[in-house]
Amino acid sequence: MEWKDRADVVIIGGGIVGIATAYYLARFGRHDVVVVEKGTVCSGSTGRCGAGIRAQWGTEMNCRLGIAALDIFENLDAELGMSVGLNQGGYLLIAYSDSEFENLKKGIALQNGLGIKSKTVTLSEAREICPALDASDATGFVYHARDGHADPFLTAFAYLEAAKRIGVSYHKRTECTGITVKGGRATGIDTSRGHIDADVVINCSGACSQIVAKFAGVDLPNWGERHEIMITEPVEAGVCPPMLMSFSGNYYIQQRPHGSIICGMSPAGHPQDFENKTTWQFITAMSRVLNRILPVTKEIRIVRHWAGLYDMTPDGSPIIGETDVKNFYHSTGYSGHGFMLSPIAGKVLAQQLTGNTPDIDLSVLDYRRFARGELIMEPHIT
Amino acid sequence: MELIAEHPVLDLSYFKREERVWFTFDGVAMEGFKGAPIAAALHANGVRVYRETPNMKRPRGFFCAIGKCSSCFMVVDGIPNVRTCVTPLAAGMKVETQRGKGRALIAPIISE
Repeated sequence: MEWKDRADVVIIGGGIVGIATAYYLARFGRHDVVVVEKGTVCSGSTGRCGAGIRAQWGTEMNCRLGIAALDIFENLDAELGMSVGLNQGGYLLIAYSDSEFENLKKGIALQNGLGIKSKTVTLSEAREICPALDASDATGFVYHARDGHADPFLTAFAYLEAAKRIGVSYHKRTECTGITVKGGRATGIDTSRGHIDADVVINCSGACSQIVAKFAGVDLPNWGERHEIMITEPVEAGVCPPMLMSFSGNYYIQQRPHGSIICGMSPAGHPQDFENKTTWQFITAMSRVLNRILPVTKEIRIVRHWAGLYDMTPDGSPIIGETDVKNFYHSTGYSGHGFMLSPIAGKVLAQQLTGNTPDIDLSVLDYRRFARGELIMEPHIT
Repeated sequence: MELIAEHPVLDLSYFKREERVWFTFDGVAMEGFKGAPIAAALHANGVRVYRETPNMKRPRGFFCAIGKCSSCFMVVDGIPNVRTCVTPLAAGMKVETQRGKGRALIAPIISE
């Protein structure tokens, strides 16, 4: 792609958040957008994620973002001109104690008030949703049928191709090495391929976002947390139709349309070293959990195992908006949910930057909330 | 019988050609040496097609013969995706041609 040393908007980070933001900016009229990516499409957290999409959240902001993202996902094939592999088998959340079930029920009350039709289901209903489920030790189940998963590779590719068609430039193997700030305003970035002048700079660099923010003298509290995940050989559909998830049980499990089963759990004590290394301990622990929840998986082989970084914030909620440096924006801190929230996050930030009324007011996601002590603690995360 | 006597990678000395056992292939009774790779026993009985590919419905048989390539996946005693080239034959085994990706057994769950 032809190199330009000037752009209207430059986006640092070409994962799903950066790509979707670029697409909506162009769609709303700012076509002169350049995305720089140090690896390639989906080489970072987007291509390593668990691919889940849900509206079952414990904070109002995440609920609003989640259901709005689902609305977009449901029409995305038509909008982008190719399939993004959406599979709405629902999210079945499993509680293993009365207090956890009570918290999930509080979540339902919040969600129902925001138009999210989540509900509690009985054990026998849970088995209708997921016939292979063994959850005799569970206390309760909650379910939202419109949740599910999509294909992160197809989604990123579809957004990128659509964005390119309306003027967006995408430079892979191009690392951001600095941000130029003049008179309190961001005026461009330095990259491994040269300088780009820009009117607006957006930091979409995921787990690297605190490093990138520092280039402009902005301190973000984010950190990269390594999570491991594995996938089995494909078997016929029906092993796990919904996304199975438990916060206390510490697992999520889903079956791809292709038939492979993907599962992951939160890590124990990985160093914050930006490495994507994997461990045998994960395979052992995860296999035990998978075989316990879905005993039918016992004869199914693991074929691959990898790791990726969650871009964590202290409250588990994203950071979206402008900073103390004018024209320097963030869309980061998705805490493991960047893929599922990217359509709406990209759309709303683009609406802000094109003078349109945003679908959702994101002002509470300003990064200065941490300094003010106004954290938006998200309880519905593992 | 056409038995594979030597293989450049597999050590076939782990089974003795002593004890003959009966097994079935798609319901047809066949005889083979106990402990031999299932695929070898099928080969000796003239069976060349072990599975059908999921999308194109193409036949697949012996290929790598060392448990790497997925070509010889079959349903053995109800378990799909068994690598028959490295799985020893046992008396009474029910070996079936695998069509598609293989269906994981959904065992009845008793506890309520």
